[in-house]
Amino acid sequence: MSAVLRFADASFRYAGEQTPALAALDFEVAAGEIVALTGAPGSGTSTLLLVAGGYAPRLVGGTLSGLVELAARAPAIVFATPWTQLTGLCHTVFAEVAFGPCSHGLPAGRIREIVTRQLERLDAGHLAERDPATLSGGELQRVIVASALALEPDLLLLDDPAAELDPAAADALYDLLKEVAREGAAILVATPDIDRAARSATRGIRLDAGRVIADGPASEVLA
Amino acid sequence: MIGYRPGHSLLHRAHPYTPLAVAAALLCLVFAARAPGPVFVLAGAAIMLALAGGSLGYVVRPALTLALPTWVLLLVLHGLLGPDPHHMVGPFSVSAPGLTRALVLGGRITAILFAFLGVLAAVSPARLVEAMTEREVPFGAMYLLVSTLTLVPRLRARAAQILEAQQCRGLKLGGSPVARVRALGPLVLPLVLGALMEVDEQVLALDTRGASSAAARTALEPPGDTTAEWVLRMLCVVWVLAAWSARLLQLLEPLRARLLTLL
Repeated sequence: MSAVLRFADASFRYAGEQTPALAALDFEVAAGEIVALTGAPGSGTSTLLLVAGGYAPRLVGGTLSGLVELAARAPAIVFATPWTQLTGLCHTVFAEVAFGPCSHGLPAGRIREIVTRQLERLDAGHLAERDPATLSGGELQRVIVASALALEPDLLLLDDPAAELDPAAADALYDLLKEVAREGAAILVATPDIDRAARSATRGIRLDAGRVIADGPASEVLA
Repeated sequence: MIGYRPGHSLLHRAHPYTPLAVAAALLCLVFAARAPGPVFVLAGAAIMLALAGGSLGYVVRPALTLALPTWVLLLVLHGLLGPDPHHMVGPFSVSAPGLTRALVLGGRITAILFAFLGVLAAVSPARLVEAMTEREVPFGAMYLLVSTLTLVPRLRARAAQILEAQQCRGLKLGGSPVARVRALGPLVLPLVLGALMEVDEQVLALDTRGASSAAARTALEPPGDTTAEWVLRMLCVVWVLAAWSARLLQLLEPLRARLLTLL
Protein backbone atom coordinates (compact mmCIF):
# COMPACT_ATOMS: atom_id res chain seq x y z
CA MET A 1 0.00 0.00 0.00
CA SER A 2 1.26 3.51 -0.82
CA ALA A 3 1.87 6.06 1.97
CA VAL A 4 -0.84 8.69 2.19
CA LEU A 5 0.94 10.52 4.97
CA ARG A 6 4.58 10.53 6.02
CA PHE A 7 6.29 12.21 8.95
CA ALA A 8 10.10 12.39 8.87
CA ASP A 9 11.71 13.86 11.98
CA ALA A 10 8.78 16.26 12.21
CA SER A 11 8.29 18.57 15.19
CA PHE A 12 5.66 21.20 15.85
CA ARG A 13 5.59 24.04 18.35
CA TYR A 14 2.60 26.32 19.03
CA ALA A 15 3.29 30.05 18.83
CA GLY A 16 4.66 31.40 22.12
CA GLU A 17 5.36 27.92 23.53
CA GLN A 18 8.86 26.77 24.47
CA THR A 19 8.07 23.05 24.56
CA PRO A 20 7.17 21.37 21.26
CA ALA A 21 3.69 19.87 21.10
CA LEU A 22 5.05 17.20 18.76
CA ALA A 23 8.67 16.06 18.54
CA ALA A 24 10.70 13.84 16.22
CA LEU A 25 7.75 12.11 14.57
CA ASP A 26 8.85 9.45 12.15
CA PHE A 27 6.17 7.22 10.69
CA GLU A 28 3.98 6.59 7.66
CA VAL A 29 0.29 5.88 7.22
CA ALA A 30 -0.78 3.82 4.23
CA ALA A 31 -4.10 3.73 2.39
CA GLY A 32 -6.54 1.34 4.01
CA GLU A 33 -4.93 1.52 7.45
CA ILE A 34 -6.81 2.48 10.60
CA VAL A 35 -4.34 3.95 13.04
CA ALA A 36 -5.50 4.58 16.61
CA LEU A 37 -3.66 7.40 18.35
CA THR A 38 -3.67 7.25 22.11
CA GLY A 39 -2.00 9.02 24.95
CA ALA A 40 -2.73 10.93 28.11
CA PRO A 41 -4.54 14.28 27.77
CA GLY A 42 -2.05 16.83 26.40
CA SER A 43 0.12 14.15 24.81
CA GLY A 44 -0.35 15.71 21.37
CA THR A 45 -2.86 13.44 19.63
CA SER A 46 -5.17 16.31 18.57
CA THR A 47 -2.22 18.43 17.43
CA LEU A 48 -0.93 15.50 15.39
CA LEU A 49 -4.23 15.38 13.53
CA LEU A 50 -4.04 19.12 12.79
CA VAL A 51 -0.52 18.76 11.44
CA ALA A 52 -1.39 15.61 9.49
CA GLY A 53 -4.26 17.35 7.73
CA GLY A 54 -2.15 20.38 6.87
CA TYR A 55 -4.18 22.68 9.17
CA ALA A 56 -1.25 23.40 11.47
CA PRO A 57 0.67 25.61 11.17
CA ARG A 58 -1.27 26.95 8.11
CA LEU A 59 -4.40 27.93 10.05
CA VAL A 60 -3.51 27.67 13.72
CA GLY A 61 -0.04 29.22 13.58
CA GLY A 62 3.10 27.79 15.16
CA THR A 63 6.30 26.35 13.71
CA LEU A 64 6.75 23.08 11.92
CA SER A 65 10.15 21.54 11.32
CA GLY A 66 11.15 18.33 9.59
CA LEU A 67 9.06 16.78 6.85
CA VAL A 68 5.33 16.17 6.70
CA GLU A 69 4.43 14.71 3.34
CA LEU A 70 0.71 14.71 2.68
CA ALA A 71 0.02 12.68 -0.44
CA ALA A 72 -3.72 12.58 0.24
CA ARG A 73 -5.82 14.25 -2.44
CA ALA A 74 -8.71 14.98 -0.09
CA PRO A 75 -8.09 14.92 3.66
CA ALA A 76 -11.03 15.47 6.02
CA ILE A 77 -11.05 16.04 9.75
CA VAL A 78 -13.63 15.69 12.51
CA PHE A 79 -12.96 17.52 15.77
CA ALA A 80 -14.12 16.45 19.21
CA THR A 81 -16.67 19.24 19.56
CA PRO A 82 -19.28 18.85 16.80
CA TRP A 83 -21.15 22.09 17.59
CA THR A 84 -18.13 24.19 16.59
CA GLN A 85 -17.92 22.48 13.22
CA LEU A 86 -21.18 23.73 11.79
CA THR A 87 -20.67 26.09 8.89
CA GLY A 88 -23.29 28.51 10.22
CA LEU A 89 -24.54 28.97 6.66
CA CYS A 90 -26.87 25.99 6.34
CA HIS A 91 -30.34 25.64 7.76
CA THR A 92 -30.84 21.94 7.06
CA VAL A 93 -28.71 18.93 7.84
CA PHE A 94 -28.79 17.99 4.15
CA ALA A 95 -27.29 21.37 3.17
CA GLU A 96 -24.74 21.10 5.97
CA VAL A 97 -23.49 17.73 4.73
CA ALA A 98 -23.59 19.00 1.14
CA PHE A 99 -21.46 22.05 1.99
CA GLY A 100 -18.13 20.29 1.33
CA PRO A 101 -19.04 18.71 -2.02
CA CYS A 102 -20.65 22.04 -3.07
CA SER A 103 -17.37 23.81 -2.23
CA HIS A 104 -15.56 21.51 -4.62
CA GLY A 105 -18.04 22.25 -7.40
CA LEU A 106 -19.41 18.74 -7.90
CA PRO A 107 -22.58 18.49 -10.00
CA ALA A 108 -25.79 18.92 -7.98
CA GLY A 109 -27.10 15.43 -8.81
CA ARG A 110 -23.87 13.78 -7.68
CA ILE A 111 -23.90 15.84 -4.46
CA ARG A 112 -27.43 14.67 -3.65
CA GLU A 113 -26.34 11.03 -4.14
CA ILE A 114 -23.29 11.46 -1.91
CA VAL A 115 -25.17 13.27 0.86
CA THR A 116 -28.04 10.77 0.90
CA ARG A 117 -25.59 7.85 1.05
CA GLN A 118 -23.46 9.31 3.84
CA LEU A 119 -26.47 10.30 5.95
CA GLU A 120 -27.85 6.75 5.58
CA ARG A 121 -24.49 5.27 6.55
CA LEU A 122 -24.54 7.31 9.75
CA ASP A 123 -28.18 6.44 10.40
CA ALA A 124 -29.02 10.11 10.06
CA GLY A 125 -31.21 10.06 6.93
CA HIS A 126 -34.26 11.03 9.00
CA LEU A 127 -32.47 14.20 10.14
CA ALA A 128 -31.99 15.56 6.60
CA GLU A 129 -34.54 18.37 6.86
CA ARG A 130 -33.79 19.31 10.48
CA ASP A 131 -32.02 22.53 11.42
CA PRO A 132 -28.50 21.50 12.56
CA ALA A 133 -28.74 23.95 15.45
CA THR A 134 -31.58 21.90 16.97
CA LEU A 135 -29.80 18.52 16.99
CA SER A 136 -28.62 16.69 20.10
CA GLY A 137 -24.89 16.17 20.63
CA GLY A 138 -25.02 12.59 19.34
CA GLU A 139 -27.07 13.50 16.27
CA LEU A 140 -24.75 16.38 15.52
CA GLN A 141 -21.67 14.17 15.88
CA ARG A 142 -23.11 11.78 13.28
CA VAL A 143 -23.94 14.66 10.95
CA ILE A 144 -20.41 16.04 11.23
CA VAL A 145 -18.88 12.63 10.48
CA ALA A 146 -21.26 12.37 7.49
CA SER A 147 -20.08 15.82 6.38
CA ALA A 148 -16.47 14.63 6.48
CA LEU A 149 -17.29 11.42 4.60
CA ALA A 150 -19.20 13.44 2.00
CA LEU A 151 -15.84 14.88 0.96
CA GLU A 152 -14.92 11.31 -0.08
CA PRO A 153 -11.62 11.62 1.79
CA ASP A 154 -8.60 9.44 1.15
CA LEU A 155 -7.28 10.49 4.57
CA LEU A 156 -9.80 10.71 7.39
CA LEU A 157 -8.69 12.29 10.66
CA LEU A 158 -10.96 11.86 13.67
CA ASP A 159 -10.51 13.39 17.10
CA ASP A 160 -12.49 11.42 19.66
CA PRO A 161 -15.35 10.89 17.19
CA ALA A 162 -17.52 8.94 19.62
CA ALA A 163 -17.35 11.47 22.46
CA GLU A 164 -21.01 12.46 22.05
CA LEU A 165 -22.34 9.06 20.98
CA ASP A 166 -24.19 6.42 22.97
CA PRO A 167 -22.51 2.97 23.11
CA ALA A 168 -24.53 1.49 20.23
CA ALA A 169 -23.87 4.48 17.96
CA ALA A 170 -20.18 4.42 18.93
CA ASP A 171 -19.95 0.73 17.98
CA ALA A 172 -21.68 1.48 14.67
CA LEU A 173 -19.26 4.33 13.98
CA TYR A 174 -16.19 2.17 14.56
CA ASP A 175 -17.69 -0.53 12.30
CA LEU A 176 -18.24 2.13 9.66
CA LEU A 177 -14.58 3.17 9.93
CA LYS A 178 -13.57 -0.38 8.93
CA GLU A 179 -15.85 -0.09 5.89
CA VAL A 180 -14.37 3.30 4.93
CA ALA A 181 -10.84 1.89 5.27
CA ARG A 182 -11.78 -1.08 3.07
CA GLU A 183 -12.82 1.45 0.43
CA GLY A 184 -9.21 2.69 0.45
CA ALA A 185 -9.08 5.61 2.87
CA ALA A 186 -6.34 5.92 5.48
CA ILE A 187 -7.78 6.71 8.90
CA LEU A 188 -6.14 8.26 11.94
CA VAL A 189 -8.35 8.28 14.98
CA ALA A 190 -7.32 9.93 18.23
CA THR A 191 -9.33 8.38 21.01
CA PRO A 192 -9.34 7.51 24.69
CA ASP A 193 -11.79 4.69 23.84
CA ILE A 194 -9.11 1.98 23.75
CA ASP A 195 -11.52 -0.98 23.64
CA ARG A 196 -13.41 0.13 20.56
CA ALA A 197 -10.24 1.38 18.87
CA ALA A 198 -8.52 -1.97 19.51
CA ARG A 199 -11.40 -3.80 17.81
CA SER A 200 -11.28 -1.61 14.67
CA ALA A 201 -7.74 -0.31 14.26
CA THR A 202 -5.06 -2.16 12.35
CA ARG A 203 -2.32 -0.26 14.10
CA GLY A 204 -1.79 1.74 17.27
CA ILE A 205 0.45 4.67 18.06
CA ARG A 206 0.95 5.83 21.62
CA LEU A 207 2.17 9.37 22.28
CA ASP A 208 3.73 10.87 25.37
CA ALA A 209 4.60 14.56 25.53
CA GLY A 210 4.41 14.77 21.74
CA ARG A 211 6.72 11.83 21.09
CA VAL A 212 5.85 8.39 19.74
CA ILE A 213 6.57 5.87 22.49
CA ALA A 214 4.93 2.87 20.84
CA ASP A 215 4.00 2.05 17.26
CA GLY A 216 2.78 -1.37 16.21
CA PRO A 217 -0.20 -3.67 15.79
CA ALA A 218 -3.27 -2.30 17.57
CA SER A 219 -3.64 -5.49 19.58
CA GLU A 220 -0.21 -4.89 21.14
CA VAL A 221 -0.05 -1.10 21.48
CA LEU A 222 -3.59 -0.67 22.76
CA ALA A 223 -3.54 -3.71 25.05
CA MET B 1 -37.55 40.04 17.49
CA ILE B 2 -34.63 40.33 15.07
CA GLY B 3 -33.75 37.66 12.52
CA TYR B 4 -35.28 35.30 10.01
CA ARG B 5 -38.70 33.81 10.64
CA PRO B 6 -39.94 31.07 8.26
CA GLY B 7 -43.10 31.88 6.31
CA HIS B 8 -44.81 31.88 2.93
CA SER B 9 -45.30 35.60 2.34
CA LEU B 10 -44.60 37.49 -0.87
CA LEU B 11 -41.12 38.39 0.36
CA HIS B 12 -40.40 34.83 1.50
CA ARG B 13 -41.24 33.55 -1.98
CA ALA B 14 -39.35 36.27 -3.85
CA HIS B 15 -35.77 35.91 -5.03
CA PRO B 16 -33.66 37.03 -2.01
CA TYR B 17 -32.08 39.83 -4.04
CA THR B 18 -35.46 41.49 -4.61
CA PRO B 19 -36.41 42.41 -1.01
CA LEU B 20 -32.80 43.34 -0.33
CA ALA B 21 -32.78 45.61 -3.39
CA VAL B 22 -36.05 47.27 -2.32
CA ALA B 23 -34.74 47.80 1.24
CA ALA B 24 -31.43 49.17 -0.07
CA ALA B 25 -33.33 51.48 -2.45
CA LEU B 26 -35.49 52.75 0.44
CA LEU B 27 -32.31 53.44 2.42
CA CYS B 28 -30.79 55.45 -0.44
CA LEU B 29 -34.02 57.29 -1.21
CA VAL B 30 -34.71 58.24 2.39
CA PHE B 31 -31.30 59.93 2.55
CA ALA B 32 -31.94 61.73 -0.73
CA ALA B 33 -35.24 63.13 0.61
CA ARG B 34 -34.99 66.41 2.56
CA ALA B 35 -38.56 67.23 3.53
CA PRO B 36 -40.71 65.43 6.14
CA GLY B 37 -43.44 64.60 3.57
CA PRO B 38 -41.35 62.39 1.22
CA VAL B 39 -39.52 60.87 4.20
CA PHE B 40 -42.82 59.85 5.80
CA VAL B 41 -44.03 58.39 2.50
CA LEU B 42 -40.85 56.30 2.35
CA ALA B 43 -41.26 55.29 6.01
CA GLY B 44 -44.80 54.19 5.10
CA ALA B 45 -43.36 52.19 2.20
CA ALA B 46 -40.92 50.53 4.60
CA ILE B 47 -43.78 49.55 6.89
CA MET B 48 -45.65 48.17 3.85
CA LEU B 49 -42.54 46.17 2.97
CA ALA B 50 -42.52 44.62 6.45
CA LEU B 51 -46.24 43.94 6.02
CA ALA B 52 -45.58 42.24 2.65
CA GLY B 53 -43.10 40.01 4.46
CA GLY B 54 -45.80 39.01 6.95
CA SER B 55 -43.50 40.19 9.69
CA LEU B 56 -44.93 43.55 10.76
CA GLY B 57 -46.06 42.16 14.12
CA TYR B 58 -42.71 40.46 14.53
CA VAL B 59 -40.57 43.55 13.81
CA VAL B 60 -42.74 46.29 15.26
CA ARG B 61 -41.46 45.82 18.80
CA PRO B 62 -37.69 45.95 18.08
CA ALA B 63 -38.25 48.72 15.51
CA LEU B 64 -40.17 50.89 17.98
CA THR B 65 -37.82 50.01 20.85
CA LEU B 66 -34.99 51.44 18.78
CA ALA B 67 -36.93 54.25 17.07
CA LEU B 68 -38.91 55.77 19.95
CA PRO B 69 -35.98 56.84 22.17
CA THR B 70 -34.33 58.27 19.05
CA TRP B 71 -37.50 60.22 18.24
CA VAL B 72 -37.62 61.66 21.76
CA LEU B 73 -33.95 62.62 21.61
CA LEU B 74 -34.32 64.23 18.17
CA LEU B 75 -37.43 66.18 19.14
CA VAL B 76 -35.75 67.53 22.26
CA LEU B 77 -32.41 68.32 20.61
CA HIS B 78 -33.71 69.79 17.37
CA GLY B 79 -37.31 70.73 18.20
CA LEU B 80 -36.73 72.44 21.54
CA LEU B 81 -33.08 73.40 21.42
CA GLY B 82 -32.85 73.98 17.65
CA PRO B 83 -32.14 77.24 15.80
CA ASP B 84 -34.50 80.23 15.55
CA PRO B 85 -37.27 81.09 14.81
CA HIS B 86 -39.03 79.61 17.86
CA HIS B 87 -42.80 79.49 18.39
CA MET B 88 -44.64 78.90 21.62
CA VAL B 89 -46.63 75.65 21.54
CA GLY B 90 -48.30 75.40 24.94
CA PRO B 91 -45.54 75.76 27.52
CA PHE B 92 -42.83 74.85 24.99
CA SER B 93 -40.73 77.13 22.78
CA VAL B 94 -40.46 75.08 19.60
CA SER B 95 -37.91 75.68 16.85
CA ALA B 96 -39.66 75.36 13.46
CA PRO B 97 -36.54 74.45 11.40
CA GLY B 98 -35.33 72.20 14.24
CA LEU B 99 -38.69 70.40 14.33
CA THR B 100 -38.54 69.85 10.56
CA ARG B 101 -35.04 68.45 10.91
CA ALA B 102 -36.14 66.15 13.75
CA LEU B 103 -39.07 64.88 11.65
CA VAL B 104 -36.77 64.17 8.70
CA LEU B 105 -34.16 62.39 10.80
CA GLY B 106 -36.72 60.44 12.82
CA GLY B 107 -38.56 59.46 9.65
CA ARG B 108 -35.32 58.24 8.09
CA ILE B 109 -34.46 56.09 11.10
CA THR B 110 -37.99 54.65 11.23
CA ALA B 111 -37.89 53.83 7.51
CA ILE B 112 -34.50 52.13 7.78
CA LEU B 113 -35.50 50.10 10.84
CA PHE B 114 -38.77 48.82 9.38
CA ALA B 115 -37.26 48.11 5.95
CA PHE B 116 -34.26 46.17 7.22
CA LEU B 117 -35.88 44.37 10.14
CA GLY B 118 -38.75 43.40 7.81
CA VAL B 119 -36.41 42.10 5.13
CA LEU B 120 -34.21 40.37 7.70
CA ALA B 121 -37.29 38.52 8.95
CA ALA B 122 -38.36 37.44 5.46
CA VAL B 123 -35.12 36.62 3.63
CA SER B 124 -33.90 33.14 4.44
CA PRO B 125 -30.11 33.20 4.91
CA ALA B 126 -29.94 29.72 3.35
CA ARG B 127 -31.74 30.91 0.19
CA LEU B 128 -29.54 33.98 0.10
CA VAL B 129 -26.46 31.75 0.21
CA GLU B 130 -27.85 29.70 -2.68
CA ALA B 131 -28.66 32.84 -4.67
CA MET B 132 -25.19 34.28 -4.12
CA THR B 133 -23.56 30.92 -4.90
CA GLU B 134 -25.46 30.78 -8.18
CA ARG B 135 -24.21 34.28 -9.09
CA GLU B 136 -20.66 33.22 -8.16
CA VAL B 137 -20.24 35.75 -5.37
CA PRO B 138 -16.84 35.10 -3.69
CA PHE B 139 -17.24 32.89 -0.62
CA GLY B 140 -15.58 35.43 1.72
CA ALA B 141 -18.06 38.17 0.80
CA MET B 142 -20.97 35.77 1.03
CA TYR B 143 -19.89 34.51 4.45
CA LEU B 144 -19.38 38.04 5.74
CA LEU B 145 -22.86 39.14 4.66
CA VAL B 146 -24.76 36.07 5.81
CA SER B 147 -22.94 35.75 9.14
CA THR B 148 -23.73 39.43 9.79
CA LEU B 149 -27.41 38.87 9.00
CA THR B 150 -27.56 35.89 11.37
CA LEU B 151 -25.39 37.40 14.09
CA VAL B 152 -28.18 38.61 16.37
CA PRO B 153 -30.14 35.33 16.55
CA ARG B 154 -26.92 33.36 17.08
CA LEU B 155 -25.73 35.66 19.85
CA ARG B 156 -29.17 35.60 21.46
CA ALA B 157 -29.21 31.78 21.47
CA ARG B 158 -25.72 31.67 22.95
CA ALA B 159 -26.60 34.30 25.57
CA ALA B 160 -29.64 32.24 26.61
CA GLN B 161 -27.43 29.16 27.05
CA ILE B 162 -24.86 31.07 29.09
CA LEU B 163 -27.59 32.63 31.20
CA GLU B 164 -29.09 29.22 31.97
CA ALA B 165 -25.67 27.83 32.85
CA GLN B 166 -24.84 30.77 35.11
CA GLN B 167 -28.25 30.59 36.81
CA CYS B 168 -27.55 26.91 37.54
CA ARG B 169 -24.40 28.11 39.31
CA GLY B 170 -26.37 30.54 41.44
CA LEU B 171 -26.43 33.75 39.36
CA LYS B 172 -29.36 35.95 40.50
CA LEU B 173 -30.88 38.06 37.73
CA GLY B 174 -33.47 40.10 39.62
CA GLY B 175 -33.07 42.71 42.32
CA SER B 176 -31.79 46.26 42.26
CA PRO B 177 -30.41 47.97 39.14
CA VAL B 178 -26.91 47.61 40.61
CA ALA B 179 -27.41 43.85 41.04
CA ARG B 180 -28.68 43.61 37.48
CA VAL B 181 -25.65 45.45 36.13
CA ARG B 182 -23.40 43.14 38.20
CA ALA B 183 -25.14 40.13 36.64
CA LEU B 184 -24.07 41.36 33.18
CA GLY B 185 -20.42 40.44 33.84
CA PRO B 186 -20.92 36.67 33.98
CA LEU B 187 -23.02 36.94 30.82
CA VAL B 188 -21.03 39.32 28.63
CA LEU B 189 -17.54 37.94 29.24
CA PRO B 190 -18.30 34.33 28.26
CA LEU B 191 -20.44 35.62 25.38
CA VAL B 192 -17.61 37.68 23.88
CA LEU B 193 -14.84 35.16 24.62
CA GLY B 194 -16.98 32.30 23.33
CA ALA B 195 -17.72 34.20 20.11
CA LEU B 196 -14.00 34.89 19.58
CA MET B 197 -13.08 31.24 20.18
CA GLU B 198 -15.86 30.16 17.87
CA VAL B 199 -14.38 32.26 15.08
CA ASP B 200 -11.09 30.32 15.33
CA GLU B 201 -12.86 26.98 15.30
CA GLN B 202 -15.17 28.01 12.51
CA VAL B 203 -12.23 29.00 10.31
CA LEU B 204 -10.94 25.45 10.74
CA ALA B 205 -14.38 23.95 10.18
CA LEU B 206 -14.95 25.93 6.98
CA ASP B 207 -11.47 25.20 5.66
CA THR B 208 -11.83 21.47 6.27
CA ARG B 209 -15.04 21.59 4.26
CA GLY B 210 -13.41 23.18 1.26
CA ALA B 211 -14.45 26.80 1.78
CA SER B 212 -11.09 27.96 0.45
CA SER B 213 -11.35 25.73 -2.63
CA ALA B 214 -10.67 27.46 -5.93
CA ALA B 215 -13.52 25.57 -7.62
CA ALA B 216 -16.77 27.36 -8.41
CA ARG B 217 -19.27 26.38 -5.70
CA THR B 218 -22.34 24.41 -6.70
CA ALA B 219 -25.72 25.94 -5.89
CA LEU B 220 -27.81 22.97 -4.83
CA GLU B 221 -31.21 24.65 -4.88
CA PRO B 222 -30.88 28.13 -6.40
CA PRO B 223 -34.01 30.23 -5.78
CA GLY B 224 -36.11 31.01 -8.82
CA ASP B 225 -35.98 34.48 -10.35
CA THR B 226 -38.53 36.10 -12.65
CA THR B 227 -38.33 38.85 -15.26
CA ALA B 228 -40.77 40.93 -13.19
CA GLU B 229 -38.46 40.76 -10.18
CA TRP B 230 -35.45 41.64 -12.33
CA VAL B 231 -37.35 44.65 -13.71
CA LEU B 232 -38.31 45.71 -10.16
CA ARG B 233 -34.68 45.55 -9.06
CA MET B 234 -33.60 47.59 -12.06
CA LEU B 235 -36.35 50.12 -11.33
CA CYS B 236 -34.97 50.43 -7.80
CA VAL B 237 -31.53 51.22 -9.23
CA VAL B 238 -32.93 53.76 -11.71
CA TRP B 239 -35.09 55.41 -9.04
CA VAL B 240 -32.13 55.75 -6.66
CA LEU B 241 -29.89 57.16 -9.41
CA ALA B 242 -32.58 59.65 -10.43
CA ALA B 243 -33.25 60.76 -6.84
CA TRP B 244 -29.58 61.23 -6.04
CA SER B 245 -28.91 63.01 -9.33
CA ALA B 246 -31.66 65.48 -8.46
CA ARG B 247 -30.25 65.84 -4.95
CA LEU B 248 -26.74 66.50 -6.27
CA LEU B 249 -28.07 69.09 -8.70
CA GLN B 250 -29.79 70.80 -5.74
CA LEU B 251 -26.56 70.74 -3.77
CA LEU B 252 -24.61 72.14 -6.70
CA GLU B 253 -27.16 74.88 -7.42
CA PRO B 254 -25.46 77.58 -5.26
CA LEU B 255 -22.13 76.77 -6.90
CA ARG B 256 -23.69 77.04 -10.38
CA ALA B 257 -25.33 80.36 -9.49
CA ARG B 258 -22.01 81.66 -8.20
CA LEU B 259 -20.19 80.54 -11.33
CA LEU B 260 -22.80 82.26 -13.51
CA THR B 261 -22.34 85.47 -11.49
CA LEU B 262 -18.57 85.31 -11.95
CA LEU B 263 -18.90 84.71 -15.68
